[in-house]
Amino acid sequence: MRTSEDCALRRHNVNVRGSGKRTIMFAHGFGCDQTMWQPVAQDFEKDFRVVLFDYLGHGQSDLSAYSAERYARLDGYAEDVVVIGNALGLKDGVFVGHSVSAMIGALASLKAPEMFSNLVMVGPSPRYIDDDGYRGGFSREQIEELLQFLAENHLGWSAAMAPAIVGNPERPELGARLENSFCRTDPDIARDFARATFMSDNRSDLPAVKVRTLVLQCSNDIIAPIEVGEYVHAAIRRSEYRLLAATGHCPNLSAPDEVTAAIREFV
Amino acid sequence: MSKTFDTEDLEDLYETAPCAYVSISPDGKVVKANRTLADWLGVAGGDALVGKSLHDILGFGGKIAFETHLAPLLRMQGHVHEIALDLLTPDGEKLPTIANAAEKRSADGRHLFTRLTLFKAVDRRTFERSLIEARVKAEAESKAHREAALLREQFIAVLGHDIRNPLGALAAGVRLLERKEQFSETGKSILMEMTGSINRASALVEDLLDLARGSLGGGFPVNRDSDAPLTPVLEQVVGELRRIAPERAIEARMTIEEPVFCDRGRIGQLASNVLANAITHGAAARPIVFKAFTRGDRFVLSVSNAGAPIPEDVRRRLFQPFFRGASRARRNGLGLGLYIASEVAKAHDGSIDVTSTDEETRFTFTMPKSGP
Repeated sequence: MRTSEDCALRRHNVNVRGSGKRTIMFAHGFGCDQTMWQPVAQDFEKDFRVVLFDYLGHGQSDLSAYSAERYARLDGYAEDVVVIGNALGLKDGVFVGHSVSAMIGALASLKAPEMFSNLVMVGPSPRYIDDDGYRGGFSREQIEELLQFLAENHLGWSAAMAPAIVGNPERPELGARLENSFCRTDPDIARDFARATFMSDNRSDLPAVKVRTLVLQCSNDIIAPIEVGEYVHAAIRRSEYRLLAATGHCPNLSAPDEVTAAIREFV
Repeated sequence: MSKTFDTEDLEDLYETAPCAYVSISPDGKVVKANRTLADWLGVAGGDALVGKSLHDILGFGGKIAFETHLAPLLRMQGHVHEIALDLLTPDGEKLPTIANAAEKRSADGRHLFTRLTLFKAVDRRTFERSLIEARVKAEAESKAHREAALLREQFIAVLGHDIRNPLGALAAGVRLLERKEQFSETGKSILMEMTGSINRASALVEDLLDLARGSLGGGFPVNRDSDAPLTPVLEQVVGELRRIAPERAIEARMTIEEPVFCDRGRIGQLASNVLANAITHGAAARPIVFKAFTRGDRFVLSVSNAGAPIPEDVRRRLFQPFFRGASRARRNGLGLGLYIASEVAKAHDGSIDVTSTDEETRFTFTMPKSGP
């Protein structure tokens, strides 16, 4: 029998591994899929129930369930996090969000206050575009340039191939073998996600965030500069801030040990 | 006489290769670059680039994409191929390239540096951009067409619906006149012709509404059940058409093992449309054969007539809406009869096909006899 919970879990290619009293959910950011968290997540499997998933339109999620309208705003993604959490009966869990997922996690914590008791924001930014008295690091023209890059680089995505990747949940190795499959996204969906991400402004949501929060900031991240991380830390009352030695935007891949240690210390 | 080759100079091959080489440290700094890249970027030799950040030589889109897509991919699968990357020259110009990249790792798997090979791709990128533009334009046009078509269908639906009421009033008025008033013979025959015209107009409107319902609702509306027999419905259809075309011979053979899980009104409509089509297009002097029977779990309905065969290209388009063959026969239909028949067939998980030879033209409809 397939319940609506099963459907939600299947739709988002949810993988639950390990065991423990507490649940830790890892959410991928803009660009790739849940594989991004593999190097960090595997360490938590020994004492946590580890939840990995793909946002709709990414990785091995169910492309047919994608709706450009629903996912035009980060709220749509946050609602999906809540749906997955409910399907797993999640309460007092840990949410670890990379990049734009840090904000998605914060929004989810506002929608379902009981679901997460700890929020780890890796490279968060509430607004990417500069504004009066606020430096997000991006200009509107630069976002357009990024959208153009996405239009010109499909990273091997082709409509003909997508069903082979998505339609074979029982044969994940088929997907894994394909070139660039971790970061392969329907160009239209990638564009939507880029827009939803880089056009977002969630600064006013930060003071409402009540969960205990850890802001993990990278040293040299052009997508989420240090002052943005500090801004997030200052705006969330119960937050701690930690500057990682890791550089770049993906410390979960470039410095998994440092990220793992920081999360462990916090939770 | 033996031929001798000059030895290739590997150092020179690296420096002046017809592509650019650059190696990047894990934290994104240039470790080594060749002269080709230096020339493209207008600096004096590859050494001038060492220590610079990769970000300094990439366009903005490429920079973000490198961090969000390429760096993670390189970590996970070790290489990426055929990436369209724009380099930034010192005077702010963009230089389009195609890049391949691979991670160089130590024996114990440590990331030492990332090697990039870049090819100039100015013309290629212009070509690709024009393709993308053409696609965007085509998509916009096809969207505009779809919207226009939707509007047209909505218009048809509204029009059809609103014309039904005045037509109904006309029909009721004519019936009332026939019953309650005294008319001369001329008056009576005019009333009869009026009734015929009203019926024909009503049938056209019903067809239009079916079309609009079918395409607007994403499917043709049918109500299937096994509550009553189908045979009487089909007998009535044959009877009606015999009355309409008394000069034509219609042989009807029905051996139906009831019940058939279907929308009987719709199957009657299908039978009526196909039979009317045979009356219009078949050879007048030869009988039309109407058969309806069940065989195993299939219900089959076929209508055949003699006459000139239907050409292949016409046969292919017969079931499209508003299609009317170049026949000399009267042309007072909208060309929806066979389209509606095929939609009814589809809505019953069945299909309708046509074969046409010098001997006969035959339409055959089959569907599963019992429900799913």
